[in-house]
Amino acid sequence: MTKVLLVEDDYWLAEMEAGVLQKAGYEVEIAPHALAAIELVDTFMPDVIILDVLLAGSTGFAFLNELQSHGDTKEIPVVLCTNLAEQFNDTQLGAYGVRRVVDKSTMHPSDLVVAVKAVLG
Amino acid sequence: MNGGDGRYEVTPLIAAAHELKAPLALVRQLALRLEDEHLSEAERARLLRQTVLTSERALRLTSDLTRSARLEDALFTVEPINPEQLCRDIVSELAPLFEVYGRRVEVKTRKHPLLLVANRDLLRRILLGFSDNALHYSTPGSAVSMQINALKNSGTIRIGVRDYGPALSSDMWRKLQKKLRTAPQSIHARPESSGLGLYIASQFAEAMNGRIGAVRHKDGATFYVELQASSQMSLL
Repeated sequence: MTKVLLVEDDYWLAEMEAGVLQKAGYEVEIAPHALAAIELVDTFMPDVIILDVLLAGSTGFAFLNELQSHGDTKEIPVVLCTNLAEQFNDTQLGAYGVRRVVDKSTMHPSDLVVAVKAVLG
Repeated sequence: MNGGDGRYEVTPLIAAAHELKAPLALVRQLALRLEDEHLSEAERARLLRQTVLTSERALRLTSDLTRSARLEDALFTVEPINPEQLCRDIVSELAPLFEVYGRRVEVKTRKHPLLLVANRDLLRRILLGFSDNALHYSTPGSAVSMQINALKNSGTIRIGVRDYGPALSSDMWRKLQKKLRTAPQSIHARPESSGLGLYIASQFAEAMNGRIGAVRHKDGATFYVELQASSQMSLL
């Protein structure tokens, strides 16, 4: 089963998004902050990561830098799910290993499933 | 955003828009979820409750912004206030929100009551803001506690809101300290938000001749407000 690591610090949103992904057949783990996410990358070994940029304790970019600094994690595709979608462009995000951006403020919950399918090819 | 370092400067207006976007986006997601015809009655009721509570959080922010913008021309009274009683009122108000998020909020009881001089509404808004921040940063299952202490050397009383969550890095902490003293800045500079809530809290505290600050712990943080102790304390 494809494993999705959902890094989202809003409890309700994470719960809802995880429900949609599980219904679509994915195994999901939720990390409420970057420290937990780093730990889960090692133990859960996700096939794809869905990441909120603004996280408690550390920003999502610090987490992305951490992923990029290790050979075994830098290839994990990342979907950015953010309220700040309009602030980023593909060039900037590509350098962080981000394959797709989903605008949290306009998305439908099922858009996450579409994004995961797209980055996994 | 400018350049390639992921930073961009924000005005208070942009910061306000950003802060409001998160709860509005969540309300929208909750509403979309409610369209699912297969939801159980219990699930539907839970989603509706979450929608109401999230809307209330957004509304609190909008009323704080309005109050903050009108501080200079507004006349407000300061009076002796029992901070423990005020904290208890806030805990009663926030308990349902904390409960649905799987957290608790409590007041550390004092043996001897204290009195401080403040405007009840402004102090309430500061503490609601700190509590809301603590709710977001705290670990599920943990308790956020409100603590009241007399600082005898300065004749002030400190009300702190302590959360238990991921430790902030030293770098993040330095940025946060800077944010406690200044207007909303680069969104990228601080985890989670533009710092607008802290800015509003510092404005409210200054209007009452007080100040706000923060203490870093290895397992979370305490945000506090310090205000003058009431001379009526000697009567207690």
